[in-house]
Amino acid sequence: MRVAPAAVLLTTVLALSACALTRSPPTFPAPPGTPGAPAPAPAPAPAAPGTAVPPPQPPPPERAPPKQFRLGAASSALVSQAHAQGASGDYGQAAATLERALRIEPDNPLLWSELGRVQLSENNPAQADAMGRKALALGTGDASAQASAWHLIADALKAQGKNAEAADAERRASAASPH
Amino acid sequence: MLALGAIGYAFYLDHLVVTQFEGRRWTLPAQVYAAPLELYAGLDLTPAALERELERLRYRRAERADRPGTYRVSGGALEVALRPARFADETRPAQTLQIATGAQGIEGLHDPSGKEVAVLRLEPLLIGSIFPIHGEDRIVVSPEEVPPLLPQALKAVEDRKFDTHHGVDPIAMLRAAWVNVRAGQIEQGGSTLTQQLVRSYFLSSRQTFSRKIREAIMAMALDAHFTKADLMNAYINEIFLGQDGDRAIHGFGLASQFYFGKPLAELDLSEVALLVAIVRGPSYYDPRRHPERARARRDLVLKELAQQGIVKADEAGAAAKKPLAVSARPAGAYYPAYLDFVRRTLRRDYHEQDLTEAGLRVYTSLEPRAQDEAERALEGELARLDKVHKKAPSPLEGAVVVTTPQSGDVIAIVGGRDVGYDGFDRALDAHRPMGSLVKPFIYLTALESGRYNAATVVQDEPIDLKLANGTHWRPENFTRQTYGAVPVVRALAESLNLATVGVGLDLGLPKVAATLTRFGLTQAPVEVPAMLLGAVDVTPLEAAQLFNGLANGGFKNPLRAVRAVISADGKAIKAFPLTVTPIATPEDVYQLDRMLIQVMDHGTGRSAHALLPADLVVAGKSGTSSDYRDSWFAGFSGSHLVVVWVGYDDDSPTGFTGSAGALPVWAHIMAHLAPRSFEQAMPESLAEVHIEYPTGLRAAPGCAQDIVAVAVPAASPPPAKPGCALPDAPAQSAEQPNLLERAKQALQSLVH
Repeated sequence: MRVAPAAVLLTTVLALSACALTRSPPTFPAPPGTPGAPAPAPAPAPAAPGTAVPPPQPPPPERAPPKQFRLGAASSALVSQAHAQGASGDYGQAAATLERALRIEPDNPLLWSELGRVQLSENNPAQADAMGRKALALGTGDASAQASAWHLIADALKAQGKNAEAADAERRASAASPH
Repeated sequence: MLALGAIGYAFYLDHLVVTQFEGRRWTLPAQVYAAPLELYAGLDLTPAALERELERLRYRRAERADRPGTYRVSGGALEVALRPARFADETRPAQTLQIATGAQGIEGLHDPSGKEVAVLRLEPLLIGSIFPIHGEDRIVVSPEEVPPLLPQALKAVEDRKFDTHHGVDPIAMLRAAWVNVRAGQIEQGGSTLTQQLVRSYFLSSRQTFSRKIREAIMAMALDAHFTKADLMNAYINEIFLGQDGDRAIHGFGLASQFYFGKPLAELDLSEVALLVAIVRGPSYYDPRRHPERARARRDLVLKELAQQGIVKADEAGAAAKKPLAVSARPAGAYYPAYLDFVRRTLRRDYHEQDLTEAGLRVYTSLEPRAQDEAERALEGELARLDKVHKKAPSPLEGAVVVTTPQSGDVIAIVGGRDVGYDGFDRALDAHRPMGSLVKPFIYLTALESGRYNAATVVQDEPIDLKLANGTHWRPENFTRQTYGAVPVVRALAESLNLATVGVGLDLGLPKVAATLTRFGLTQAPVEVPAMLLGAVDVTPLEAAQLFNGLANGGFKNPLRAVRAVISADGKAIKAFPLTVTPIATPEDVYQLDRMLIQVMDHGTGRSAHALLPADLVVAGKSGTSSDYRDSWFAGFSGSHLVVVWVGYDDDSPTGFTGSAGALPVWAHIMAHLAPRSFEQAMPESLAEVHIEYPTGLRAAPGCAQDIVAVAVPAASPPPAKPGCALPDAPAQSAEQPNLLERAKQALQSLVH
């Protein structure tokens, strides 16, 4: 058991008080209106207002509630545009378009993976690998974002002939994958 | 014989004119653009701020947004008629955009048919050009970009018979000669537009009789070989219209930007009249230096236009009532320190001639809003600091670099307090000891060794090192005290020299030097113990490169001012794409960054919070070099990195620590950048623990006086304070004391 009952209690109270959390990186909901903000973490079992503090519950199996990154509307449109540019072989334009999206949402791991894919198409596997690792770091707590980052890293390693490392990255991708 | 010679000379001039003018190619200095502003639903930009951005681009508020360059405000919506725009990656025709705005910022974008627009850029602001040493700067316009009124007005005022004469107007010349003879000096020109063109294009401006003859022959040759429309277009692009320091303003395209900050096509009658007025004497009728003279001549031009029936008398009268409406500062050369960085970047890849002549378009990362805030904060704070330090021999100087860490974009550079001065650029050229800015890199090296974490207790005690030359090195803390056993987080937050030197010596100087080099120090530091106290010279830009790696989670991106270079015919010829290189593990950098947050909460950066939004999480480090010669602050939020240096050019002591000098500048800038909190996800192998700040012992919040949250490897929790520990392994929730306090209060209110 890695989480103290008191900590669970506090977490529950915090979720109930619904005040703006400001300094808890792993579980922190983004401010409303932030494009592409990760979906809010599911709150622990709610209690009716005015009732007594719920009794301590067994700690959740995860150390931090899972989150899921999504693209904001602006980024989403730019990613579609980048896909079209990439499909017609215009990788430089695709990368420039994805950079526009990244300036809007620099912390979104999905965009870093997208840009890494373009780098791979441009035959730049070292950059693809580095961007995959950037996506991996930003995607902490989002299994699906991490899985696609690992897939990218695996492909980048393969492209560099690093097959053993690529296989390892592939295994991590499967392990991270929610399915 | 004489006649033969004259004919020969005429043929020679004819040949010269035709060959040179036929193959004419104006030298086109590279045009440099700021980053375009991206508009999208959810952008935190108030209606007032949006209007300011439009006004920066010289959009005009109007009753109807029907002409490019105008916008209309009604209720919570803004309709803007966007000009055609050229970006690095696309060309966009003029279009109308509806922007719904609210208290939260932009709520939605729609095209005139009501279709939703997900994202759209405003055109980039022209911020300057790279003109050659002789200083001729211009923007060439095609006939379609010229308002029809301009050639009409030029003819009316300068050369009424332009359409019918053969390059010279003998009657006008005779009249001028008569006036000049009677006056005993040259008072009238009598030159046609063609002659003026010849003078500007082929000849020096000395007025001698033989040159007058030459000019007349060449004007007739030009007239014989080229159409009037061609000559008018050449005139509009060639003629000299103003001087801005070393920079000569040529052509109406640039003059329009220079005096009014907007495209030529958008000028109204009074503005066109002013430019036509300036032709006669750009220095004498300089509307910024001699507004009354310029205005009188403009009104004369307007009267002339009305008399010749080119405009209606009432229109001319209304135009004459308008003020000069010249922009306060000339467009271009706004941001000399930033342009300096752009030029240096480009000179690595281009010859001087390509930059000054080939008509390149250069797209940069400059964000005018951030640049303006950085300039304002530096000017304001240095003026305040000067008053504190009255006996100073010269005014304090300073420099600022602002980046967006994840993209590696340099969005603002201030090279000194006189921001318009194109001289010594301190942001790029002031090599100064970094002082305690070096400490984060020592502690990062310590984390990487695996032998230290934030709670590790180190000794802050006297050090006496015998150096190779036989002398003794006895560093001291700023307070001249020693603090004994302290955890690493405190040693860094309070910038304790002795504890840090102890750690650095334990790690070894080569290891620390290697970390600095890895993060972007261009010259390997001299490996002497004083290096551990920051005897390492860096420029503010270099300091920004070093800290950018910390702000970007251990990834390095070469800081860039230039994004792309486009050729005159619209082809992308050079891109500087975003690249990242892992230079430290996210785990080590995360642990360090959490300590840099404590610098702001508990240490030398804490006074900044008074100027920042209450709940903003920032991380940073102060730096002070020996004898207070240099005052530094480098720090970041989740969205911006700001580095500030304050000091004297002659290296005399400032009397300010980093916290007293650079920090207030830093905080003012950060507060105005609309920053997001620094809140990166904690890597999975780490755990957040609460420790007692003075001892480093793990303690439950509320159990001791001074508890701080730090991140440590989950596998090595710090020892617990006796009688104070939670009965658990390292706490996994990420709450920090203030949050836990609130939680406790909430808990109590529920219980009672």
